[in-house]
Amino acid sequence: MNRQQSIIAAHGLTDESDRLIQADEPLAELQEACGGCIPGPLAVPELLELVRQSRQLGLRIAREFRAFDGRDQVSGFVRIHPIASGDEEHVEAGGGCEILVENWLAFPAEGGGSHVDSDWQDAADRAVAEISARLDAHQTLQFITSYSSDAHQLVKAVEEAPGRVWNDYIELEGISHQQPLHWRLLDGAKAKIPGSERNWRVRLFPIATPSSAPRGFELLLIANEPLGDEPTAHEAPLVEDGTPEHSRLIGSALTPVLRQPLARIVANAETIHARLAGPLRDEYSEYAANIAAAGQHLAGMLDDLADLEVVEAPGFQTARERVDLADVARRSAGILGVRAQGRDITVTLEELSQPLFAKAEFRRVLQILINLIGNAIAYSPEGSQVTVRISEELPGQACVTVSDQGPGVTEEQSLKIFDKFERLGRDSDSGNDSGSGLGLFISRKLALAMGGNLEVLAQEVDDELVGAQFRLSLPDFSAN
Amino acid sequence: MGKMAMDRSQSAYVDTSLQDELARGNRALASIAPVIAHFLNDNGPSLITDAIVAQLRGMLNHIAQQLLPKSETASKGYSENLAEIMARLTNDVPLIEHLYAVALEGQITESLEQRAAVDPVLSPLMQELIASTRPETAELAMTALSSQARFCQSQRRMELPLGELPYEIFSSVLHHLEEFKPGVDPLNAAAKLQEGFDEGASRLGLMARLCANLQGGAIAALDLGHAGFALFSSAAASLTQQDRAAVVFACHEGQAARLALTLRTAGLNADAIDAQLGVLGSRTALSPGIASIAALPQESAFDTLRTMGRTLGNDS
Repeated sequence: MNRQQSIIAAHGLTDESDRLIQADEPLAELQEACGGCIPGPLAVPELLELVRQSRQLGLRIAREFRAFDGRDQVSGFVRIHPIASGDEEHVEAGGGCEILVENWLAFPAEGGGSHVDSDWQDAADRAVAEISARLDAHQTLQFITSYSSDAHQLVKAVEEAPGRVWNDYIELEGISHQQPLHWRLLDGAKAKIPGSERNWRVRLFPIATPSSAPRGFELLLIANEPLGDEPTAHEAPLVEDGTPEHSRLIGSALTPVLRQPLARIVANAETIHARLAGPLRDEYSEYAANIAAAGQHLAGMLDDLADLEVVEAPGFQTARERVDLADVARRSAGILGVRAQGRDITVTLEELSQPLFAKAEFRRVLQILINLIGNAIAYSPEGSQVTVRISEELPGQACVTVSDQGPGVTEEQSLKIFDKFERLGRDSDSGNDSGSGLGLFISRKLALAMGGNLEVLAQEVDDELVGAQFRLSLPDFSAN
Repeated sequence: MGKMAMDRSQSAYVDTSLQDELARGNRALASIAPVIAHFLNDNGPSLITDAIVAQLRGMLNHIAQQLLPKSETASKGYSENLAEIMARLTNDVPLIEHLYAVALEGQITESLEQRAAVDPVLSPLMQELIASTRPETAELAMTALSSQARFCQSQRRMELPLGELPYEIFSSVLHHLEEFKPGVDPLNAAAKLQEGFDEGASRLGLMARLCANLQGGAIAALDLGHAGFALFSSAAASLTQQDRAAVVFACHEGQAARLALTLRTAGLNADAIDAQLGVLGSRTALSPGIASIAALPQESAFDTLRTMGRTLGNDS
């Protein structure tokens, strides 16, 4: 996704109990990556602390902040302004705060970095471990405790035959069954637990004074997926279902390796472009800008390719939740608010009098709508209008139509538009388009996987209504 | 019986005021030895000089003046009120630490100008930022420039506007005012001061925003001659995730090792570190230890800095 580079990168509002009630794209993404939702309690601890201070003291605060979104180290400069209860501009946020983030920067977190990071990781693992055990110096299991229903069988096995080396009870993946390996080699291994469907991760912490050999170990087993209440939790049985493992080369191997050097190229090129280290001729500054743009394009491409792999994997499934389409549309429009404003485009939502629910997976629908509305914004002339319409125009289907006032799609193009890597030679806003030609392909795959469809509507014959129209249809939740 | 009870309540009253008095005496007594030791120790440059003490006193006085309403200046309790607020402020440790860093920054800025011709206000990097093709950057740089100019002026006048304080310290200063209640309506006065406060518009806020604006290029600001002291210390603080006050302290002549560690953490190599120490004039104190710091891997420098900051307890 094309990151905004202007000074104000994101804008958000919180209410009097520090719940985030409105947020732009990067902030919304961070909130979700930290496990929160909108509206919902502010889930970024670094921001929450500042917002709380600002609200309680009634002071305008400005601080640098850093947060970790699970993949990238995010940093920026945040200004928090408390909003008085009677403020007319932000009625809904009265008593809360306005959040302005400047210079948003996401940089891949450095793997295996300092002690501080690994301490943090250890603490997190200890907090979420569902099974913990003590081992003696020879890695023999001494006792085990668990919090999860699917660990009963393991606990029973230990009770029936105590006093064995711990990995006799647990199946370690990718480690041939040799007797006690050095603990460092086993720390972080993937594991299967008898009686549990889930994938687990092993952590081993030696119990020892710094200079001596370990007296024993603390063994933690951390589940990679939460324990689902219903069978829909089998969302990712990709590896288990007997089909030969679909190649996940890009997502699992390429993306992590390439992300960091790419980010470095982009950052350095931007430094050169901004002439921060000294004067430079305009041409060279422009070259550097091109390098940065190309780097960003590559990074976006890599994300799309990783998505593509997931979508194309055999047995790819999506959840079936009750999704309020108007709500998703409103969120996607809100998330793209800055981008639209930047081009002076208004996004209007035409909804029905009743909420319309589709049977689909929330985040996938959000992904599709962000793609559609994002495209509409990119290909429309400045100052135009993008319309998002909710309708029931197809029987048994809930539909969202996104239309813009751009050059539109010809009949010939509409045949190819959903093809992989198809860009139709369309030029978007200012030449810094970072499309990979995969967005619509992925969106369509997602729509199909949810039992719906994504199509281009034929252009109306009279020339009044120019512009492209895309319709996403999904099974109506109330249909059966 | 009645007499006994009265005596006791009287003695209770005497006790509290006496206790206050004695506690104050104890504090003063406890601080004598370290202070005297500071002045007597002539190994290297002193951390506390007459100039710094005078600067601190001036700034404290100015802060106290801003807390009291201007209209009261002529009234008869004014000087007592001022003295009482001064006394409260003097015992506020975080405030004193912050003011010390401000005074030290003022002093280092001045000595850099005299000794190494480092422009206190309009450094080459600042010029470039003002000439930036991005209007937002240029505007931000312009605002930062004028606040830096005001800072230099106010340091000469030994003053510090309340709005220049970080929010934690600002709110604790307001708290003193609310506790003390000098005459009319302190809450109203506090609310008014609070209203006008915007950390992002203070000099330190603007410098930090400017550094955030440099993004990957913040390392370009780690050259004193190129960036000037204000941007240099903000950038170093941001790159090494330290309090800015800690960075300013590290730039004191006697703290070469700390500065070398900071710069190493920020990613400078041995030559660049040596050059910066040279500009600051700390190179006379160059010990073999510093060369070994410069040779540390960046990550272990970061870890050392972190643990050191933690034991000092200056990590806010």
